[in-house]
Amino acid sequence: MRCVTNADGMLSADGVLGGNPLFYFIYNAVGHVAPCWLSYLIAGLVIMLILINAVLLGAAIVSWGERRLLGRFQNRVGPNRWGPFGAFQPIADLAKLITKEDIIPYGADRLAFTAVPVIMVAAVLLGTAVLPFAKDVALVDLNVGVLFVLAVSSLTSIAIFTAGWASNNRYALFGAGRAVAVLLSYEVPVVLSLLGVVLVAGSMSLGDIVAAQAVPFFLVQPLAFFVFIAGMSAELNRTPFDVAEAESEIIAGYHTEYSGIKFALIQAAEFGGVLVVSGLIATLFLAGWAGPLADWLGWLWFLIKTFIGIFLFVWIRSTYPRLRLDQIMAVCWKFLMPLSIINLAAVVLEVFFLRDANGSLSTADLWIMAAINIALAGGSILFFGRFIREKVRTDAHTAIATNPVARGASTIGMG
Amino acid sequence: MWFEHIVFWVLSVVAIAGALGVVLVRDLFRGALLLATAFVAVGGLFVMMNAEFLAVVQILIYVGAIAVLFIFAVMLTRDVQQGNAPNRLQIPAAVISALLLAAMIATAVSTDWTTLSGAGLEAKAQLAQTQAVGIPNASDLTSAGLTPAEVESVSSGGLADLLIGNFVLPFEAVSLLLLGAAIGGLALARGRGR
Amino acid sequence: MYGLEMVKGLAVTLSNLMRKPFTTSYPEQRIRQHPRFRGEEFTWYEERCTGCASCAKYCPLGIIKIVTAPSETAPLQGDKYRLETFDIELQRCMFCGLCVEACPYDALFMGSGFEEGQYKRTDLVITIDRLRQAEKNPSTWFRPQLEGMDYRPGAGRPLGWREVGRENWRWHQHEKAGMRLAGNRDDNVSSA
Repeated sequence: MRCVTNADGMLSADGVLGGNPLFYFIYNAVGHVAPCWLSYLIAGLVIMLILINAVLLGAAIVSWGERRLLGRFQNRVGPNRWGPFGAFQPIADLAKLITKEDIIPYGADRLAFTAVPVIMVAAVLLGTAVLPFAKDVALVDLNVGVLFVLAVSSLTSIAIFTAGWASNNRYALFGAGRAVAVLLSYEVPVVLSLLGVVLVAGSMSLGDIVAAQAVPFFLVQPLAFFVFIAGMSAELNRTPFDVAEAESEIIAGYHTEYSGIKFALIQAAEFGGVLVVSGLIATLFLAGWAGPLADWLGWLWFLIKTFIGIFLFVWIRSTYPRLRLDQIMAVCWKFLMPLSIINLAAVVLEVFFLRDANGSLSTADLWIMAAINIALAGGSILFFGRFIREKVRTDAHTAIATNPVARGASTIGMG
Repeated sequence: MWFEHIVFWVLSVVAIAGALGVVLVRDLFRGALLLATAFVAVGGLFVMMNAEFLAVVQILIYVGAIAVLFIFAVMLTRDVQQGNAPNRLQIPAAVISALLLAAMIATAVSTDWTTLSGAGLEAKAQLAQTQAVGIPNASDLTSAGLTPAEVESVSSGGLADLLIGNFVLPFEAVSLLLLGAAIGGLALARGRGR
Repeated sequence: MYGLEMVKGLAVTLSNLMRKPFTTSYPEQRIRQHPRFRGEEFTWYEERCTGCASCAKYCPLGIIKIVTAPSETAPLQGDKYRLETFDIELQRCMFCGLCVEACPYDALFMGSGFEEGQYKRTDLVITIDRLRQAEKNPSTWFRPQLEGMDYRPGAGRPLGWREVGRENWRWHQHEKAGMRLAGNRDDNVSSA
């Protein structure tokens, strides 16, 4: 933080927070009446307040939207009692959860038990810090934005395992162990797919990635798009990968013992994670805030593309049955990782041959890459899909011959 | 500024307290969690030194993978609540750790670190980091205002450049080591027999 | 499951998104039950009931309570019993319909509603006053004569006591018809 005045006599924060116009506005406005450090602090706090509110409210809206969308996918309406189209349902849920008794189980590690929802919400809120909502509007446009988001999403695995351990409940521990195994496994294909995106864009900064998408990256690298969506579904513990919180199996997995406001915070972290990852998909693969009239309407395009990401997640949730843990591991290591490696290899070769002297790619190059990669994606998905099929024995004779009861029974009728 | 001093002291105290707590706290699981806290604090210290890439990699690898490994290892140990059994090597271990700490502090303090200085420090640091991660481009660095000595120290210290250039042999050896560890893990997990 | 089937599954779900949901928004809309639905409230025609308590005897749970007294009016015309109590306990009723099967005079019918929930358990008993005053929408269960008619229980046209019986039973014509209630002389059927 440097209190430097520029030529106009206005305070200027020396390049730390990028070009965030709202920050400069508040910084300068408060700087007239308050000392430099106070106006810096207030400007930062105001933006953080806006972002935190946006994420938490967005989590509530995503939970409402998911329930209604899921209902429509399943030929029924979602919640429609509270408010028009059930819009106040999240408020009703929150009121119910706040008034519930806050139980800490006997023998539980109180500090760790209470800290877990805090860590999960903190991880989600940290991830919002680098998303570009419009041109030059991000809380901070880090040089290593992509890595930052990956690092922050890896905080969730510690939180989940702490939740399972601190609950003093062996089923919670099983669920947490399974969840952490899934999370750690799926980080590998996700990181590999994002490497391809970073290579084509030439930078890890999210603002630069949006600027580099003359052709949206879901066309240029469909394999990376597919692997990222599948991997992030697993990272967020969503169906079909929700073996951690399988509502019909292991009671509730790692959050079995959580009630009341702690559970509300964990749900907020989960739906907030969906929101942040959808924002990330919009930024990395759907060209972020780009679109017609992007200077004024960039935030609108970003919202629309985030909604597309959320729609994709709910669509996938409503379509596929839950996978078993061994099937989840098979999908990760035998299906997604080869696909991400193929994507990386293809992108490396294409970038190497198509790159011009400065190291940048033109739009025509991107279209050529798109054509090659789409064909490659179709072929490799169909090919590697064969490795995760399970063989089902449909031979009736074999079944009867090996089952002594059936063998005896089958001779009775024939006498 | 005094703001940075406060942040530095808070992060340092958290890091040192976390590290001490790993050893001194009775409950092993809490010790593992304190280790993760110490890692996060060290990441914060990296951010303060304008090394954001290192900070993010620290959190991604240490907190995201190594701390989880520690926690799994702790979980597989029985009697986590009781902590370590008393043994006779505690005093010798403390003495050797103190000697090691003194040696490291002496080395760190007496080394001549090349630092960036002057006007536009953050911008230079950002540029240095980008170049350190990517392909160093000396003209970009000079046009940003780095002195030739700083350009030398930054671009010759580019991580990717070093890995593929001067340190290619350790790089390949580490990849072989990783492959060996993975195969060893598989072999251990299969169990005997079959 | 993987490969092209993934896309087919997504297409199926997407086509479901476009269809109209077939949820019935209770309580604004109610699902019309089938005509033989054994509903929760009972339909009882006092004009046809003789107080024989066959329904009470047939009930496997014993939840029907019938208390009769000798009737003062016209015993010769078959008006032998005066019903003082006719309670049906809904809290244990399993709606099997055996009481309806048992009634020889087609006086008791199953109802067609399903909204009998109360806040207190003591309110779950159907008393004789409620049976007298209720709107008569009998279900056609075990009453083939109602099935032949153009009658649906939910259509909102209650049936009177003359329309619901198997009127070709001769003894039923001569007994009971019109003799039960005081003040009911105007719809006398001439008796032999």
